[in-house]
Amino acid sequence: MEKTIKVVNKIQKEGLIKKYAMGGGIATIFYVEPILTYDLDIFFIPSKKERTLTILSPIYKWLKEKGYKTYKEHIVIEGIPVQFIPVYNELIEDAVKEAVEIKYKNTKTLVIRAEHLIAIMLQTFRPKDKERIIKILDEAEINMNHLMEILQKYNLKERFEHFRGWYYGE
Amino acid sequence: MENRNLSREEIEKLFKAKDLFHRELSKISFDEKIKILIQLQKIANGVRPSLKRDQRVWKF
Repeated sequence: MEKTIKVVNKIQKEGLIKKYAMGGGIATIFYVEPILTYDLDIFFIPSKKERTLTILSPIYKWLKEKGYKTYKEHIVIEGIPVQFIPVYNELIEDAVKEAVEIKYKNTKTLVIRAEHLIAIMLQTFRPKDKERIIKILDEAEINMNHLMEILQKYNLKERFEHFRGWYYGE
Repeated sequence: MENRNLSREEIEKLFKAKDLFHRELSKISFDEKIKILIQLQKIANGVRPSLKRDQRVWKF
């Protein structure tokens, strides 16, 4: 995975994206015990202000020139299917901006904070998101004040309280 | 009644130990977690080979 991260860092260095952070299952794994996932989600802030899916074209073009191949909705970089997802709302953009820098082996990368992950999953709210929220709440160290600020800002507090009440009987 | 209470206590202890185990696993290094993830992918691939999941196991 280190090689994959290096390639993504290079994409950022080349100016094809402004900033990125790992999200989804892999970001969840950073905070909880390993769970099954097959892809690496890269949320990114585009270099240009354009917010359509055409912003993916330069990234895919650059990667294809380097010999990387697409697989369904992913592009396989050094053996790992990667999905590039442009920030599609303010919450995701905040999550990328406030992502925490980590090191994987000897390579620096960024991962979305646990509090933002919970908020994003509350927005998408698929069955697997609900499972992951529970795992993060049970296993990760959460800054509850920060989480509440985020949930308040993005109108997710009520959903969170309802969800927590449902699962924990609070 | 006493036995039932005792049994409940034991079960609670068991679940606490289980929670602790998961919390400890959540604290291992990211590097180790990725190694475990690949093992999980291989296991899942073995369980459902008809879905051609072998394409999805990370290779690096």
